[in-house]
Amino acid sequence: MNKKLMLVLATAIFLACNFLFPKNPASPPEEIIAPPTDPALQPSDPQDLAPNGFTIVRLHPEDGDLQNMLADEAQKATALGQMPIVEFDATWCPPCQAIDAAIKSRDELMLKAYSGTYIIKLDVDEWRWDNGRVQDFRFDGIPVYFKLDSEGHQTGKVIDGGAWGEDIPENIAPVMDKFFHGK
Amino acid sequence: MNIKLRSLFCILLWVILPLATFVSCTLPANESIPLASFTENYVNVSIYLERNSEGNYFLSGIFLPPEGYHLYSKDIPIHGVNGLGRPTLLELAEESEIKALGILTESVEAQEADFDPKELLVYPAGAVTLSLPIKLPPGNHWIDEELKVTYMACSASQCKLPVVGKIVPIRIPGVNVFGHP
Repeated sequence: MNKKLMLVLATAIFLACNFLFPKNPASPPEEIIAPPTDPALQPSDPQDLAPNGFTIVRLHPEDGDLQNMLADEAQKATALGQMPIVEFDATWCPPCQAIDAAIKSRDELMLKAYSGTYIIKLDVDEWRWDNGRVQDFRFDGIPVYFKLDSEGHQTGKVIDGGAWGEDIPENIAPVMDKFFHGK
Repeated sequence: MNIKLRSLFCILLWVILPLATFVSCTLPANESIPLASFTENYVNVSIYLERNSEGNYFLSGIFLPPEGYHLYSKDIPIHGVNGLGRPTLLELAEESEIKALGILTESVEAQEADFDPKELLVYPAGAVTLSLPIKLPPGNHWIDEELKVTYMACSASQCKLPVVGKIVPIRIPGVNVFGHP
């Protein structure tokens, strides 16, 4: 009887260990070209880490006050040597999703354009886009990108999808590259 | 002379006044009555009551997005295709006394998008008119009703905030207001 119990317990522990500590994590950390050096600098949602010299995080209203969170994220960006940028997007927005898809597919033009940036994504539905504004951010279409300073305040430099034509990397990347890096 | 003139005036009054009343109370064929108009999230929406040459009534909604922007087909799901896009819709409120006599029709044909998912049908950039054949509510007076409007405007690289199920109050004539049951 005790042997059977031990066998069942051992199997359960084995399964639990495999479940909790998988051998092949979905996002291998070695893919991150510019990983945070300090664990405290990990973005809010580590799964959002982009594997290519830039960082993408998403903030949610339930996590706290927006301006405080932006200040925190801007500090993390600065510590990483990256430029903090706020991006407003939405799940229903085809151009926003097209940009995400281009990045996820590791389009070289897009990866180059985004290098050195720290993208802080805010979903306009979560953050209540109303009357053309989300808190202190004013905009009339998405996607839209706001440059932040190292304290998380808007610098006044903004770009939106209207700056390029059809939503393909060949159009987006040069414009974003110029906006991000001032080329 | 004065009496003749007075009689003539009375006759004219008796003839012209009822005629004018009749004409003003009848919605001529192929003409329309504006019911509501608003601009929200950069799309101008104008709703009309129209009557065709066969005497059938229609609710028509003209959706005018900003230049270079398109709207999405009335036939895509209310929550979009894979979550993307929102349909263009002109609907009766659930407890409306107006009865739909057919399906919503569109002035321009929707096309496959240039991007995935291909099922995300879009109208060409510019205005779209949706028409719904209706039976006017019973009665011989104007009544307050509500319509529901849904749309979302995007360009090739940018989207405006969608409007979903916006309640639009209208005042619509009963079926007997125009003198025919």
